[in-house]
Amino acid sequence: MTMGSRPVIVAAGRTKFGEHYEKQPERLIEEAWLKASEEVGLERKDLEACYLSDYFLPITNKLGLEEGFLSELTELHVPMDVVRSFSSAFSNACNAIQAGKYNLVLVGGIEKMTDRWDKIRDDLMLLEDPWSYYAGCTPEANHELMLRAYIRRYGITGENLEKLNIALAQISVKNHLNALKNEYAQYQRKITVEQVLEARKAARRPLGLYDFAPISDGAAAVILASEETAKKLTDKPVYVLGSASATDYLTYPAREDLTGFAASRLAMEKALKMAGISLWDIQVLELYDQSTVMEMISLEDLGYCQPGTAWKTVYESCQDYKGYYRIGEKKLFVNMNGGLKADGNPLGATGGAQIYEVFKQLRGEAGARQVVDDKPLRYGCVLELEGFGTKGHVHIFGVEGA
Amino acid sequence: MSSEPIERRVSYLGDRLRGRRCQLCGKEYFELRDYCGNCGRKSFGKMEDIDFFYEKGRLELCTLITEPTNKFTKLGTYIYGIISFHDGKIRVPGRLTDKIIREGETIDFSRLEGREVVPRFRRRYSVEKSEIIPTISLAFTFADEYYPHQEYQPAKPNKEYDVPGIVGYGVYTSRFRIREGNMERAVPFIDEDAITAAVEAGKLALIHSGVDSTLVGKVYVGSESNPYAVKPIASKVAQVLKLGEEDEDVQGVDAVDTEFACKAATSMFKDAASLVSYPKMGVPYAMVIGADNSQAAPRDSPGGELDFFVGYGGCAYIFGKTDVIAELEGWYSCTSDTPDFWRRDGEPYPMHGGRFTGDPAYFKHIRKAAKKLMERLRLQPSDINYFVAHQPNIAFPVRIAKELGFKEEQYLPSLQVAKFGNTYSGSSPVGLAAVLDIAKPNERILIVSYGSGAGSDAYSFITTSQIVEKRQRQKMTVKYQAENPFLEYVDYNTYRRLKHGL
Repeated sequence: MTMGSRPVIVAAGRTKFGEHYEKQPERLIEEAWLKASEEVGLERKDLEACYLSDYFLPITNKLGLEEGFLSELTELHVPMDVVRSFSSAFSNACNAIQAGKYNLVLVGGIEKMTDRWDKIRDDLMLLEDPWSYYAGCTPEANHELMLRAYIRRYGITGENLEKLNIALAQISVKNHLNALKNEYAQYQRKITVEQVLEARKAARRPLGLYDFAPISDGAAAVILASEETAKKLTDKPVYVLGSASATDYLTYPAREDLTGFAASRLAMEKALKMAGISLWDIQVLELYDQSTVMEMISLEDLGYCQPGTAWKTVYESCQDYKGYYRIGEKKLFVNMNGGLKADGNPLGATGGAQIYEVFKQLRGEAGARQVVDDKPLRYGCVLELEGFGTKGHVHIFGVEGA
Repeated sequence: MSSEPIERRVSYLGDRLRGRRCQLCGKEYFELRDYCGNCGRKSFGKMEDIDFFYEKGRLELCTLITEPTNKFTKLGTYIYGIISFHDGKIRVPGRLTDKIIREGETIDFSRLEGREVVPRFRRRYSVEKSEIIPTISLAFTFADEYYPHQEYQPAKPNKEYDVPGIVGYGVYTSRFRIREGNMERAVPFIDEDAITAAVEAGKLALIHSGVDSTLVGKVYVGSESNPYAVKPIASKVAQVLKLGEEDEDVQGVDAVDTEFACKAATSMFKDAASLVSYPKMGVPYAMVIGADNSQAAPRDSPGGELDFFVGYGGCAYIFGKTDVIAELEGWYSCTSDTPDFWRRDGEPYPMHGGRFTGDPAYFKHIRKAAKKLMERLRLQPSDINYFVAHQPNIAFPVRIAKELGFKEEQYLPSLQVAKFGNTYSGSSPVGLAAVLDIAKPNERILIVSYGSGAGSDAYSFITTSQIVEKRQRQKMTVKYQAENPFLEYVDYNTYRRLKHGL
């Protein structure tokens, strides 16, 4: 991207993730927007357009046209569009700003999954892949099959298999540990490797309760501006350097590669090229850990670990965890907000929370969980997936060199 | 409420596992694609129809489902995974069926992965009682266990016969049994019902007969446990087994359900035989299926005495005039309005007063039909090699056989009720199949069915030399299913739960 047209994040806000049965969905998005807008002293009427995201709201909450709800709530008549993932909304907003159509837009994401606790797993599974649903799949099963595929493909047995299983547990433990410092996280409690392993044993499955992200409610909001407008609003701009997505087949068993997500790989390649930086320039990384397996696999998909080796990186880094994964001489700070596992996973808002985290880290505003790298923070990256890797979005963010 | 169009499309693909293959590069799809992703535009018109219904797959990867989605909860804990066909050319999702996984039981996935599996036509999941029953063949069992993989090889017929007869047959019972006293009875797995048994039996009959399914011009399904009050089982059988020429997604076959308690299927033997004999009408083959998930009220309620005898299974016969294994020599049917057993519409279980059960119901009609047919054909019991009667229990068929003058060696080979229970519409047909499994050429078989309400059909068949040649095509014989090492025995509560189904 050329300097002149780079979209800039000027503010970000979010709600706590968890169960919000007492709140209307539009109240959650309002809360996220208010937090973001207060930072830069914006009023509703300053917005030129809204890009919104949710997966299920019309189904789970029996809403009508969501744009209408928000128009009524904000008393605005600006263009609004609802898409599925936060990343999709974010990409559309970036495109519009780059095209010079708008100078100031809101990107908001929301999900209220716990309202339909009774059937959310069926909805999730139908979204993931109807044929797998018809065959008896659950939202957890494909993660476990990917782990089985990984173990078989790379011939991981004996002591190594034990280490791999521990490494996956450590991912969960690490994310819970990070979430202790995140006041918005759904789970702010420490867990142990033993707990993770015990839950798997109780489930009689390769992965257990602590390997999966929860069902959550929540909202997130990001205010995106053109570079010109951003200058008037903030002196700490966070630039969108690269933003790309890729797609893959709905039916996981039909894909060529069962041990990775092609959509993540392709999106990362494109985003890096757009940003004009190297993989190793990235210091903070928010991965889409819908399961511990997904975090591990994503390290390989994005290129940080060779295929079949990410578990070693995780295992060795977590033997004496210092807040980052060590890959050779490189420190990689992953899921500092606690990841989907501990921060929560309200689908339409999840990507927003990931972007929020990188935004705060790059601005040095992450408080207790602020990353301190060997050199000042300059680049961060977000990976968001839709379905079971049916869509992959990568965004690369940067601040002016310190 | 389910959507009929979605249901129709999912079943159309999923019941038969239909797909397409690119004739240019060989790429395969589980989907009716009009072009190939590799070859693009030049592949239009070059995609051939394939399906995986008779194929053997491989369980590539698996895991355990302990917390199913809502519609699968009645299946309990099950194994789910990825199945490949044609050496990995195509991969589909699938669950293993016919497996009861007990609480606390752990599964070593690496011992299951890599094993060969066979697709099975089953109910897909639970729905409300008023809804369309969803089915699918993305359910699998291991090929080296109860249900073997058998290729379906349609063959050009060798020999024309002057009279019609049986060209092939198939018996299907589940791998679950309940054992009480001197009886074992077949118990359906929870995703089975009369529809799935009918399809399985028809599939096995096609395999055994070597008949090209597109030449079957009519299919009759006799059942008294069709889960629908209105909607035929036969339409499902026709579509899944691709009977008759397919044009678009419509099969060129007449399909109809029949009902007359336990003789709903045998009644149609003569109709099928007559139809294939009708000149110039182009119905070379007709299929008759008797299938039941035999119903019985719980033991402590009215009609509950049936609960000691009911079984589960299906039996299919293909009639024609080529490559006949048993010629139809003659028949006699009789009927009277005798209310010995009935089920009113909307009632889940049949009633059984007990007053008429033996005489004047069962014995009177079987006696009449057998005697009349023997008279017509001028036969003495000694002219008959095997006698087959309807088998609601062990005592009745033995008593009537003796009364008619048959000896043990004539009636015992057909007596299967102690192994499968009363399979209702499939009862005497299974007995006939057990005899056909072992009969030598040129032997005479007398079968007399009985249907409550009441009536009997008597048929005389004479085996041909081709009975021996065709035998090797069928592994799923009656004996194989009765004495299989993979049978699983369940307790009474499990039996009731499985029988009640999804």
